Amino acid sequence: MVLLRGFLVLVMFFLLGEALRVLADLPVSGGVLGMVMVTFTLMLRGRVSDELAEASRGLISVLVLLIAPGVVGVFFIVEQFYGQWTTVIVALIAGTLLSVLTTLWLMKKVSESAAGDGRHE
Amino acid sequence: MNNAFAELLTVWTAGPMLSIGLTLAAFLMATWLFARFHRPLWMPPVLIAALLLAAVVALSGIGFEEYEQGARWLTVLLGPATVALGVPLYQQMHHIRALWKPILVTLPLAATLAAVYALGIAWLMDASPLVLSSLAPKSVTAPIAMGVAEQLGGSVSLTLGGLLITGVLASVFVDWGVRWLKIEDDRIIGFALGLNGHAIGTARAFEISPTAGAFSSLGMGLTGVFTALFLPFAFPF
Repeated sequence: MVLLRGFLVLVMFFLLGEALRVLADLPVSGGVLGMVMVTFTLMLRGRVSDELAEASRGLISVLVLLIAPGVVGVFFIVEQFYGQWTTVIVALIAGTLLSVLTTLWLMKKVSESAAGDGRHE
Repeated sequence: MNNAFAELLTVWTAGPMLSIGLTLAAFLMATWLFARFHRPLWMPPVLIAALLLAAVVALSGIGFEEYEQGARWLTVLLGPATVALGVPLYQQMHHIRALWKPILVTLPLAATLAAVYALGIAWLMDASPLVLSSLAPKSVTAPIAMGVAEQLGGSVSLTLGGLLITGVLASVFVDWGVRWLKIEDDRIIGFALGLNGHAIGTARAFEISPTAGAFSSLGMGLTGVFTALFLPFAFPF
């Protein structure tokens, strides 16, 4: 029962997210809008109920189960993207390497200067 | 004998139960195998599960279309599961407050670049619009990325493939980058893992330390929200 109550809250926020997406004509998925609304609601309330926390943990722990069917599709689209795979692989390898290095470098610089500010103040 | 099997397959695939059963079995088996082989960085559970499923679906003659239709009964839960990600995000809020300055500066730029680098390279190599819109959400956690890919008109399967490769690569590259840039702050390492490598990077971060794990969840959540909210507006197709 506890799980179901939490699940109902999640489903309701999902439906609200879908409503916002359609009514405000946003190009963002209903799930993401629901997630943002849940986060803000919790920030306003200042606490999260056990039911909601339980249901969230449960769903998040089976995310792999929910995503796996989509990943299976990759093995069946090899022909559909014939001739594009080199592009895909090169873009992923080089793109990820560059973005990892950029993130690390940026975080290092910014947190060093933030720490520097702290010393001067 | 062959006829009886064909008939049985028709009956079984009439409803979604066969797909659901197969997916559940593959998930449990993948979890077990992953633990058994000492949690290899390059072979996350989702990849093991997908390989098992693909083999069964192809060899048994069920076919992907048929399988996917039944599995939809499971994948609809991705909607509420995405909403559920808001809860840990709220629970990490005190971390955001404590380190808001570096996060605020890094996040928009790094999350944008995570998409732009790969898109730029793919565009220079003459990728089709379908490939571009499928690769755009490559650094975002899967449930969100699937929504973004759908909104942009990409191929969800290609997006998930790209996501998987990105997650594995990010874990390896962060390892190298940290050594090269001489970074020792677990908060930075974790944040970079989550921002670039979503759930797969986050799993890696939890192996480093709980702090790295917390910051990785944070980086993953914020990148997901940021990309999901801005990419559909910024994407020019």
